[in-house]
Amino acid sequence: MGKDAARAEWDNPMQFVLACVSYAVGLGNVWRFPYLCQMHGGGGFLIPYMLMLVLLGVPLFYMELAIGQKMRLGSIGAWRAISPYLGGVGLASVVTSMYLCLYYNVINAWSFWYLFHSFQSVLPWAECPVNSNLTGHVEECERATPTQYFFYRETLDISGSIEENGGIHMGQALCLLLAWIIVYLFIVKGVKSTGKVVYFTATFPYLVLIIYLIRGVTLHGAINGVKYMFTPKMEQLANPTTWINAATQVFFSLGLGFGSLIAFASYNQYNNNFEKQAIVVSMVNSSTSIFASIVTFSIYGFKATFNYESCLERVRLLLLNTFDLAEDTISLENVNHWIAELNRTQPEQFASLGGRLETCDLEAELDTAVEGTGLAFIVYSEAIKNMPVSQLWSVLYFIMLLLLGMGSMLGNVIAVITPLSDLKFISHYMSTKTLNGLVCLFCLLLGLGFTTRSGNYWFTMFNDYGATFSLLFIVLIEVITVCYIYGIKRFEKDVKDMLGHRLNWYWKIMLAGVSPILLIALFIFYIVNYIQGGTPTYQAWNKELGKSVVTEYPPYAQAFIGLLLASSVCCIPLTALYTYCKKRNLASGKRERTVSTVSA
Amino acid sequence: MLVRILVLLYLAGAPALAQTLCQPNASNGCRVRISIKTALGNQAYEWNENEMFLFRATMAFAMRRYYKTETYNVDNIIMCNQTLRVSFWFVVTSPENSTMLIPKADVEKAVRMSRHRINNAFLLTDRTLEFLGIHPTLAAPVNPDTPPWLIVFGVVIGAVFAGIIALLVSSLLQKRRKEKGMMEDGQDEEDRQMKGVENDNVLDGIYNRGFTDDDRFTKL
Repeated sequence: MGKDAARAEWDNPMQFVLACVSYAVGLGNVWRFPYLCQMHGGGGFLIPYMLMLVLLGVPLFYMELAIGQKMRLGSIGAWRAISPYLGGVGLASVVTSMYLCLYYNVINAWSFWYLFHSFQSVLPWAECPVNSNLTGHVEECERATPTQYFFYRETLDISGSIEENGGIHMGQALCLLLAWIIVYLFIVKGVKSTGKVVYFTATFPYLVLIIYLIRGVTLHGAINGVKYMFTPKMEQLANPTTWINAATQVFFSLGLGFGSLIAFASYNQYNNNFEKQAIVVSMVNSSTSIFASIVTFSIYGFKATFNYESCLERVRLLLLNTFDLAEDTISLENVNHWIAELNRTQPEQFASLGGRLETCDLEAELDTAVEGTGLAFIVYSEAIKNMPVSQLWSVLYFIMLLLLGMGSMLGNVIAVITPLSDLKFISHYMSTKTLNGLVCLFCLLLGLGFTTRSGNYWFTMFNDYGATFSLLFIVLIEVITVCYIYGIKRFEKDVKDMLGHRLNWYWKIMLAGVSPILLIALFIFYIVNYIQGGTPTYQAWNKELGKSVVTEYPPYAQAFIGLLLASSVCCIPLTALYTYCKKRNLASGKRERTVSTVSA
Repeated sequence: MLVRILVLLYLAGAPALAQTLCQPNASNGCRVRISIKTALGNQAYEWNENEMFLFRATMAFAMRRYYKTETYNVDNIIMCNQTLRVSFWFVVTSPENSTMLIPKADVEKAVRMSRHRINNAFLLTDRTLEFLGIHPTLAAPVNPDTPPWLIVFGVVIGAVFAGIIALLVSSLLQKRRKEKGMMEDGQDEEDRQMKGVENDNVLDGIYNRGFTDDDRFTKL
């Protein structure tokens, strides 16, 4: 009871909802969902996505909120309260969240870097820099594109492989420092400060998205992209990868298993109606994904059309120059007609063109699907530099990326801090402010490793392996624990206690039956995929070729991957073993004491 | 009579001689390509003999400027092989000896020196008035003393530090205010407690949620 009165709370339920929205709506909505839509048949992808949301996403979201609100503790304490042997689930969540904290803020550092560089008359990624003797452009930039050069060389100063380490990039380190200071500022007073910040971080990205939507659909050629995205290719539904990717996207987009939702819900009032809130947040998250896809695809369409028309212009000039025709004979519309004509009338001279004649294909331009940091920092910045008043659009775009990233970072950091501050021995020795500061400092110092020259390769490793597999395992154990070890009946009673009405049949069936089965299927698929995939590989930037090359991880890096996966997963069995041993010692100790008093 | 025949021959032969001097792909010839419509769009002018004359005059000017003499004239610039694209070859003859051609390297250097003036004479740019083989020198990059991004970074981090200091100061002030308040409250507490003891009532009980006036379910 004393703990109840002392625990901080959200000022009103709206803050809790906005915090969940701010956490769930993150960079994945902007850069992963549009990619999946494109890969798996456009509008048709919405069918498996919605189905997975209903079967998997919303019930698990509901369950995590219920646990947090009931136990009023962070993930470690909550799971220990549910089942003492499975307290390791909470610990595994904290470890995974810690990994996420380490590398996620580096993305915010990049956003800051790009944001600060947008305040120039010519955007630095618009043109190649000139080389030292002013005869031409830097070679690496000529072979790649200016946006790629800016990202790989000037932002990251990337080395050739993960083995070649280098010094820390000072600009990146400064931006990372700034990012962590801002995160500290947001969480310094616990939910009191976080609750006020989320009003801004949850709503402002929508404002920017709307502005971008209006700008995007009015761009020349945007309609090509939107049409391309929404044309459903129903045959993709037969591909099992589509369904797997839909499930994974729903799962990771809602942020299940990190412990953030449990932490957020633990600051709720006991009778908060989380059922309605769970549905609302999930719906808002999904509609934001779809909304962001429209924006992304209109910008894709603009970029593809721009590249296509530049290609046509180059071919036109080439034809004019080779055949010495007057300037206005060939226009952009009849380039292809003229190619056929000239091939027919002057075949020898046409043959002399050789490989210089490019084929311009709009479909091929639209087909280049990119996801992740490549989409956000390379493709998008390329599109932005061609817009009129590009500095303004660049600033707006990177502010939006920052807000999305910061909102998710809040959830990640709170997922680590809440369980730590619940532990008796920590809260006894230091105040929340000091604990928050120490966690931020620790993550900052370790995160500096991602700002070295090979840092991006370690970042990709963490991104691909740090949280994907362990989360599936954690959530699977969570669902099985709640439904079968804790018991669905007890869970039902707790929910009735909090909400006042019984668990709906929908929640019961999903939680106890459908979700575990789907999770097991996903889990098995991941293991099979991992084993079949052979040696894990990564994309290394080759500066001579000016493009990324697939390279295998060296043995020590593979060992590190194994360590990443094992360190969070092992917490569960190890803690169970530890609790079992402690209980046995305690039991045998009690027996000894009772024997001694009786004998005495 | 003989002199007149020789003069006639010379006058007839000179252009022919000039034509043999200017050949496409000649070792000392330079090819020029002009894209007027690309540069000027609707305000493009017609390329005709007058423009050719202007070109020859501008090239003579460039040669004069390079060699710092005043001997070059329009006749020293010979053009040939004009196409519809508007491209042509030209050679430069020496003012002393009209059969001797100025080497290409020197012509290139002269063009590079006066490139800006030549472009402006025709309202064109380096890209639309191309001398094939002569690459334009790129503008030297402007290197400011402090990179601009550092300035913006400085502003933002200054604002953040100001925020942190404001937060610390406000929390310190709040703590001091609370302490002052507690000192005054403390006397009330003692009174109340004494009252409590006197009346044998325990005034601080357990908060019973069942009897609150709030809505049982907090609305969204």
